[in-house]
Amino acid sequence: MPVVVIGLSHHTAPVELREKFAFTPARIPAALQSLRDTGLAEEAVILSTCNRVEIYAVTHLEPDNAFAALRRFLCEAAGHQEPLNNEFYTMSEPHSIEHLFKVACGLDSMVLGETEILGQLKKAYELAVQQRSTAARLNKAFQRAFNVAKHIRTNTNIQRGSVSVASVAVELAEKIFSTLSNREVMVLGAGDTSEKAARALLSRGAKSVIVANRTHERAVALAQELGGRAVRFEQWADEFTRVDIIISSTAAPHYILEPGKLAPLMKLRQNRPLLLIDIAVPRDIDPAVNLMENVYLYNIDDLQAIADDYLRLRQEEVGRCEAIIRQKARELLDGMQRSRQS
Amino acid sequence: MVALVLYGISAAYSLFLLQREIRRDHILNYSLLLAGFIFQTVAMLQRGFSLSRCPIHNLFEATLFISWALLAAFLVIGLFPKFRFLGAFVSQLVFGLGIFALMPALDKSQAPEKMLEGFETSLHASLVLLAYGAFGLAAAAGIMFLCQERDLKSHKIRALVSMMPPIQRLELVISWMLACGFILLTAGLVVGSFFMKPPPGMSLRGDFKVIWSFLVWLMYLGLLVAHWQFAQRGRRLALGAIGSFAFVLLTFWGANLASPIHSP
Repeated sequence: MPVVVIGLSHHTAPVELREKFAFTPARIPAALQSLRDTGLAEEAVILSTCNRVEIYAVTHLEPDNAFAALRRFLCEAAGHQEPLNNEFYTMSEPHSIEHLFKVACGLDSMVLGETEILGQLKKAYELAVQQRSTAARLNKAFQRAFNVAKHIRTNTNIQRGSVSVASVAVELAEKIFSTLSNREVMVLGAGDTSEKAARALLSRGAKSVIVANRTHERAVALAQELGGRAVRFEQWADEFTRVDIIISSTAAPHYILEPGKLAPLMKLRQNRPLLLIDIAVPRDIDPAVNLMENVYLYNIDDLQAIADDYLRLRQEEVGRCEAIIRQKARELLDGMQRSRQS
Repeated sequence: MVALVLYGISAAYSLFLLQREIRRDHILNYSLLLAGFIFQTVAMLQRGFSLSRCPIHNLFEATLFISWALLAAFLVIGLFPKFRFLGAFVSQLVFGLGIFALMPALDKSQAPEKMLEGFETSLHASLVLLAYGAFGLAAAAGIMFLCQERDLKSHKIRALVSMMPPIQRLELVISWMLACGFILLTAGLVVGSFFMKPPPGMSLRGDFKVIWSFLVWLMYLGLLVAHWQFAQRGRRLALGAIGSFAFVLLTFWGANLASPIHSP
C-alpha cells in the first residue's frame, strides 16, 4: 500500500480557503479516527498549519479512488460545498515521499528554508502516533523525513541567514558587538517592525530596552511588553551614552539625528561602536552619519536588500536539496520494498 | 624548506578562502600552518644546537624568528575557532617573510669580535622578536578589521556570511596583541640596555638600531595611550597597528645594517 498525500497550501489556495479547511488540534484526533473507521486509510497523519492542510495516508484503495474519497472527506470536514478547481494537489509514491521531505526541510514553505514547519510536522506526527493512526509505513516515512531535514540543514545553505528585516538587524548586531548580553537597545517610535527587531535582539540576549515615543502612553505600554523602560521623546538623547543599538521608526518629517548632533554624543560614549537601524519612511537619520567612524547605519532598504540576498543564496541551494531529497526518497522506498519482499 | 612549502600552500589556500568570502572553517589552514610551524621549530632547534646558541644572530635567523613568533602567537589564539580566520592573513605574511629570508646575503656569519654571546643576548633578541610577532598579529587583525568594517559600512551581505568575528572582538585582539607586544619589547629593551655589555670599542649610545628601537617603542606606546586614554578605537586603532608594523617591517633590516653592533 503506497503513501499518498492530498492537501492545499499557500501555493494553491488563498488564505480564505486555507482557514476554512484548517483543523484545530482538538479536531484532529476525531478526524484521524474517522479516516480509519471509514476504511479510507490504514494509517494517517494530518498536518494543519496556517499555510497548509495535508493528509498523509496509507490506503488500500487505488490512488484515484483514494484521492476522490479523501477530497470528499476534507470538504465534509470543512463544511465546504462550493466547487473547487485546482486548489487540491494529490501525490502518490514516490512524489508523496519527496513532498513530505520537502515540507520537512522548509522547501515548500512560504519563507524558503524556514524551520518552524519541522516542529509543526513533528507535532502532527506525534499526535497521530498518540492516536495509534500510524504504523510501519508512515513511521518510517516520517522518521526519515526528520533525518533528511537534519541532513539538509547540516550539509546545505538552505537555512543560512535571515530573511526577515528583524532577524537581519540581529545578525548585524552580532557582527558588530562581541556579545549582545550587555547591550542596551533604544526604540524610537513604537512601530511594528521596530518592536519585532527589539524583541529579536532581546531574545538573543540584549540587556534591556528603552522606548521613546511621541505618545508617551504608547511608549510605556511597549516598554512594559518588552520588559524595558519608557522615556519621554524629548529626553531620548539624554540616554544616548548608554545605548549601543538604536531602532528608529518615528513619523518625523525630517532627520532627528545628524552628524552634527551625533559627533559630540559619540565622544561622550568614548567612540564605542553604535548600530543605527532606521526603518522610518521618511528616514529619521541622515545617511551622512554612516561616514562617521564607529557608526553603522542601516535603513529599511539596506535591511531588505540583505534579506533578499539571503533568499537568493537559499534559492541557489534548492536544486542541490532536491537532488538529495530524490536520492533519500528512493533509498527509503527501495528499503521498504526489500523489507516487504523478505 | 618543507615549512616554507607548507606556508606557501596555506597562503594559496587562504587566497581561495578570501575569494570565497571566508565562509568555510579554517581548520585545514590552521593544520597546514601548525605542520609548517613544527618543521620550522625543528629546523631552528637543529641550527641552535649545532651553533650552541639561540639562532637569532643574523638577518636570516631574525627574519625566521619573527615569522616563528608570529605563527606561535597565531597558533595559540587560533585554538579558539572564532579567531582561526587570522590564519588567512598570517599565512601570507609568514610565506613572504620565508621567501625574503631565502635571500643568500642575509645568512652571514657574524664576525667573532662583534659576536655577543650569553643568555642575556638570547633573551634580549628573543623578547624583541617575539614582540614583533605579536605586533604582526595585531596588524593582521587590523587588516581583517578594515575589511569587515568596509563591508559593514557598504551594507554588503559578505559582512554577514563571512566567518569573521564581530569587529568589536577584532578590536580587542588588536589591543591585546599590541599590549603583549609592547610588554615583550619593553622587557627586551630593558635586558639589552641594562644587562648586556656592547663588544669592546663599541657603545650603545648613538647606535642606529638602539635609536630605531626606542622610536618603535615610543610609537607603540603612543598607540596604546591613544587607545586607552583618548578612546582612539576601531578604524584608527587598526590603521595604527597596520602602519606601525609596516614601518617595522620596512625598516627593520635597514636599521640592522646601519648598526655596527647589530649588523652581521
